[in-house]
Amino acid sequence: MRFQKITENKKEYLDLLLLTDPQEDMIDRYLDTGDMFALYEGKELCTLAVVTLLKNRECEIRNLVTTYGHGGRGYTRAMIHFLSEYYRNECDTMYVGTWNYGESLRVYKRCGFEYSHTLQNYYVNNYHEPIYLDGEQMTDMVYLKKPLDADVDLKKVVNLALNAGRILLKNGAEIFRVDETITRICKRYHVENVDTFVLSHGIFISASKDGEDVFTKVKHVPLSSTNLEIVAEVNDLSRRITAGMINLDEAIEALDRIEQMPPKKDWQLILASGVGSGTFGYFLGASAAESVCAFFIGCVLYIWVLFAGRHKLSKILVNIVGGILITTLAVCIYVTIPIPMKIDGMIIAAILPLVPGVAFVNAIRDIADSDFLSGTVRMIDALLVFVYIAIGVGFALSVFSNWIGGLGV
Amino acid sequence: MIHWLIVNVVCPFFGTIAFAVMFNVPNRFYTSCGVIGTLGWLVYCVTVNPTSPAVASFFGTLIVVLISRVLTVRMKCPITMFMIPGIFPLIPGASVYYMAYDLVMSETDQAGEIGFVALKIAFGIVLGIASALSIPRDVFSMEYWRNRRQKG
Repeated sequence: MRFQKITENKKEYLDLLLLTDPQEDMIDRYLDTGDMFALYEGKELCTLAVVTLLKNRECEIRNLVTTYGHGGRGYTRAMIHFLSEYYRNECDTMYVGTWNYGESLRVYKRCGFEYSHTLQNYYVNNYHEPIYLDGEQMTDMVYLKKPLDADVDLKKVVNLALNAGRILLKNGAEIFRVDETITRICKRYHVENVDTFVLSHGIFISASKDGEDVFTKVKHVPLSSTNLEIVAEVNDLSRRITAGMINLDEAIEALDRIEQMPPKKDWQLILASGVGSGTFGYFLGASAAESVCAFFIGCVLYIWVLFAGRHKLSKILVNIVGGILITTLAVCIYVTIPIPMKIDGMIIAAILPLVPGVAFVNAIRDIADSDFLSGTVRMIDALLVFVYIAIGVGFALSVFSNWIGGLGV
Repeated sequence: MIHWLIVNVVCPFFGTIAFAVMFNVPNRFYTSCGVIGTLGWLVYCVTVNPTSPAVASFFGTLIVVLISRVLTVRMKCPITMFMIPGIFPLIPGASVYYMAYDLVMSETDQAGEIGFVALKIAFGIVLGIASALSIPRDVFSMEYWRNRRQKG
């Protein structure tokens, strides 16, 4: 989506303008003095608008038309949003006059316009021919107005950007994505001077606008479970904000909604852990019977992981006990079930749900992006988890090998 | 043949999807995740015999990340969606177990050897990710635009 101000050959667009203002000499009244803007998607012209400046820091949308076949996709709203931003510094109020017709009034009201006043019989007095819409004759012109707040609330913008960054970081996004999202949101809402410093566990942001006081905030972001769906949603939101599709308040609301999104249900996670263990075991070389056992061990393991998460147990405990649990279950199955099975196949498969894949991959990505500080921290995090698992498995193995005198591996 | 298909195509496919579920990847990306995981594993399988596990991990990761990047541009979503579940089949989880086992059995030499192999595999994955990521983003989006124009 791309906006363009049209300064020459405005007459070329006359047939489009006639769709919403059906008389040429009425259009001529504002076409020369007004500013014309076009919204293009790719090469196609989607929406066209003409705005004139009035006295006392006011402006009026004289014509706003979306081409046939492009309606209902938010282009009109995007255009109104763009115009609000464009005239923000020059004007305090934006007016639009439209016919007293439900659909068009609804569109404007959804974009923040309110009723201002009515010109009685405007269309009857000024137009040669009566105008009909849906079989109803249009007589009055309804004026709507919208205040354009000249100064954006700096704190509000920074808080929104910081919140978006926090949610991204918490749910497993890379450092550069957090950085980019914060800067983009600030720039979009006209906070030009913004500096961020993002670490794996915290965000520092300071911003100022037009030489005003500097606003600085620090946010600690504790580690928590990964939820890539939320990362995808916030990424999508930031894309929409950058494209100018939504305004500040809508963005704050949307972000709140995203954060409330529920994670997957417990039984789905437990089942996924089991399926992951079972299938991975099978293609990593375990036998069919071992894979089935790995499925059950994987399920039980994840019940423990979820329980630990509820009670906020430390990572050390979760992984060491997880390792012990896996090994114990595998040995129990090995001892009790009289099918020839090897312990290692089961354990290797069942370990996988504990493997810190997100931390490992993000660490590499951060280092590749030259975010060495966060990359190192995350890499140590990942390596320690490997060590904890090994400690848990090793501890249980040594206990059992002393008990039953050697393991049939 | 059918057995081979089940082992090396069906299992990685559903396994990768299972891990995608655990990381809360949105439902619409499940199939892509499964395909990426499977392709990465197949490339690993093909290259592991003539070379070493570390080199094979490198090639597997390379494929995973490259396809992820193409899909990222096409589906307009963060690359993490595809990359993290996709790399899972290549992570040397088995080495962790064998290392712990050998240490418990006091076979320190063998434990060190396995640890070193695991480290080499990890470096293969690191190199794979880093080299596939260092290709500039434009290459992928250029292709994207060209394809779109042909379709339109």
